[in-house]
Amino acid sequence: MKKMLSMLLVLAMAISMLAGCGKDEADGTSINVCLSSEPDTIDPALNSAVDGATMLAHLFAGLAKWSQDSKGNLAIVPDCAEALPEGVVGADGKVTYTYTLKKGLKWSDGKDLTAKDFEFAWKRAAGDELGADYGYMFEVVDGYPNNLNVKATSDNTLVVVLANSVAYWNELLAFPTYYPVREDVVADEAWATEAKTYVCNGAYTITKWDHNSVIELTKNKNYVNADEVTMGKINFYLSDDANNMLSNFKNGEWLLIDDVPTNEIATLKKDYPTEFVVAGQIGTYYVCWNINEEILPAGSNLKGEAAEAARAEIRAAIGLLYDRNYIVEEIGQAGQVPASSFVAMGMTNPDGTQFYKTAGNNAGFDGYYDVSTGALKSNFDKAVEVLKKYYNWDGSKFTNFPTLTYLYNTSEGHKAIGEYLQSAMATVGITMNLENQEWNTFLNTRKDGQYSIARNGWLADYNDPICFLDMWTTESGNNDVQFGKDGHKNLKMYNLDLTSLGYSTKVVNGTWAETFDVLISTIKGCTDNNKRFEMMHIAEDMLMSTGCIVPLYYYTDLYMVDDSVKGFFSNPLGYKYFMYTTIEK
Amino acid sequence: MNSKTLGYILKRLGLAILTVWVVITVTFFVMHAVPGGPFTSEKAISAAAEAQLKAKYGLDKPLMTQYGTYLKDIVTKFDFGPSLKQRGRTVIVIIKDGMKTSAKLGIIAAFLALIVGVVLGSVAALRRNKAVDKIIMVITTAFVSMPSFIMGALLLLLFAVKLRLFPANGSTPAGLVLPIITLALYPMAYITRLTRSSMLDVLGQDYIRTAKAKGVSQKKIIFGHALKNSLIPVITYFGPMLAYIVTGSLVVEQVFAVPGIGRAFVSSITNRDYPMIMGTTIILASLIVIMNLVSDIMYKVVDPRITLE
Repeated sequence: MKKMLSMLLVLAMAISMLAGCGKDEADGTSINVCLSSEPDTIDPALNSAVDGATMLAHLFAGLAKWSQDSKGNLAIVPDCAEALPEGVVGADGKVTYTYTLKKGLKWSDGKDLTAKDFEFAWKRAAGDELGADYGYMFEVVDGYPNNLNVKATSDNTLVVVLANSVAYWNELLAFPTYYPVREDVVADEAWATEAKTYVCNGAYTITKWDHNSVIELTKNKNYVNADEVTMGKINFYLSDDANNMLSNFKNGEWLLIDDVPTNEIATLKKDYPTEFVVAGQIGTYYVCWNINEEILPAGSNLKGEAAEAARAEIRAAIGLLYDRNYIVEEIGQAGQVPASSFVAMGMTNPDGTQFYKTAGNNAGFDGYYDVSTGALKSNFDKAVEVLKKYYNWDGSKFTNFPTLTYLYNTSEGHKAIGEYLQSAMATVGITMNLENQEWNTFLNTRKDGQYSIARNGWLADYNDPICFLDMWTTESGNNDVQFGKDGHKNLKMYNLDLTSLGYSTKVVNGTWAETFDVLISTIKGCTDNNKRFEMMHIAEDMLMSTGCIVPLYYYTDLYMVDDSVKGFFSNPLGYKYFMYTTIEK
Repeated sequence: MNSKTLGYILKRLGLAILTVWVVITVTFFVMHAVPGGPFTSEKAISAAAEAQLKAKYGLDKPLMTQYGTYLKDIVTKFDFGPSLKQRGRTVIVIIKDGMKTSAKLGIIAAFLALIVGVVLGSVAALRRNKAVDKIIMVITTAFVSMPSFIMGALLLLLFAVKLRLFPANGSTPAGLVLPIITLALYPMAYITRLTRSSMLDVLGQDYIRTAKAKGVSQKKIIFGHALKNSLIPVITYFGPMLAYIVTGSLVVEQVFAVPGIGRAFVSSITNRDYPMIMGTTIILASLIVIMNLVSDIMYKVVDPRITLE
């Protein structure tokens, strides 16, 4: 027995020596982080994921980039461009931008980078042929999608024409879809899948790529602003298991992890007060109704427009039954903010004020309804008053509300919220069953409108409210509510009056396509930023008046970063920047 | 090898191919019947772009045509097609990549289970009802009844987080130690119990008693006679063990973030990456079918009393 024990001990020691060999020597010039599993793609044109965008921000340099000043403020600054000049507005309202590239730009393989590479990359990313998720990021450019009006007039001059002035244009220039790629490199369709074929122009190059395991980035000497880069190596470990990420963070292997297990949040907040970070993220978690779902009681004699007006009132009333503070404090537990509007917190008006604070009627609160705990009782009473107009009330509950089914994608967090909504509605006698589906199936069901009420969420692609609004036009692929489709298509009940803003548009009792769709295209063509924002508020008012969109909370971005990491920052879209970090033990 | 054995092997090979073909067919049609598709995402792409992508990958053709093309490409060119999610990479390349790690994991785990299991089982049998036997039996009972995801989580917590002996991710060789142990524990425990009971059975046989009576040394009895015969049930377990290791790796690779084929398989399904689903299914199914065949043949090799038909 003694012999066996000593043998075991020897074995354990031998194994632990083996363990020591595999570890990276942490000398302060390399950092191990984990954002997610293997990215679907790190071709800048094809990527549409936040983790992919973070990697791309380290690998490529666009005309502009995100930067943090010494006070911690974020700004868009030139990267490959000498400067970010104002556009020149032509007689036709189109805006021309002329960029001069910095001297001596090179690709990571040493070849010269020219304005032609930008022209090629932009046309490639926007065109239908590539079918990129984010091709629509070029929608603002004249000639989108297949005849993009962008031209390299010399090796270092790029001229681009926008259909109209765009407030967030400089931000788009820092967006991964706008990064340059070289024609001969991307001719090989597999170029962005191996280290040896990956040619880029940013702060780092890929020096090792073990698929599904780790991507190693090493500082690129050919990067135009290489002297600003302090971190020599970044290892992006690839895992999407939150428990595994946490184990690696706890044992000191990984210094930043971008996900944590939901059921650990409360403990982590307490145990790692400085390392557990809740950052703002521009996005809204909401419940959406299928506008064509019949929810009036059986035997109701309301028809057509009158029936839809009633349904809108009912849906809005049900939205008042929910206690959003309970949801964020007891279920979410991650610093989320109760939402009173669809356009998320973080979106700003031209004067810098929060968009949601100037949305809605603003009668003593921000947004479209009062989400404070103090207003719970009055919200509830108001909801019951409205519902009484349409349903039988027996003194404590409604007796003839049709049974609903709430659809959500399989996840403990979504389930907990579903159960809360269920219980809130049960207090007034409304029965709502819960049904969950696997993610891809769920997306399909929701998109096809095969549901009555469903969980939903939207994260901003860029810092402009239009990305929350143009998704609700009739033909949009994200129109989960089914606005302007099937039964809703022919209902003439919406008004739009833009005459006070100098337009001739005035529609009384029009369809969704005649009003909302027209409004969105007017917004997209508008060059006056103040008017544009006024119209975006009108668009959100229209959306909220249907009651189909019930915001619950504004998202936050949770991650853990080790105290030894200095100089790290993330932007409002959730991209994380490691190039300017140092490790101080 | 006589002609009877050869005929048996050929017959089994034919059956194996048929099995794989059935798996291919069922998976292909079930996979396409499930709602959602490879280009479904939260941020929907335009209808024009989606149509172009579908045309590019042949997904706009009738299902039967797609099925025919798929079978033809596999049989004639061993071409599993491109991945629809990891654009630019082919299924073969992704599978090769994952197989490198998974095979290492599986083979080491299998050997570990086999060697430790047989040794522990023999020790337990020879020390029947002594303290060592009892300890081994208690421990193996625990390992047999504990699912691998719990075992994995426990090992991770103890050796990676608390003691910091091993990394918590499987991206380095040292990181494979814990997943290998997790994967090996169940079959090891099972083999221990199997070896013990079969060894006890053999030790009670007349020919062992005869050998003992003739004064053959204990060592020679065990290694010369008892061990070989008591291994027959262990060999029959070889097939199921491999199946366990293959399916078990799906969980273990997830828990330890090991870049193996198990993770690729799971994510291909959530992504509706059709060629990847097919590719990984075919590889895993073939593996199990082949290993069962091998174990049946080995059965015959170690025990001449068994006839194959």
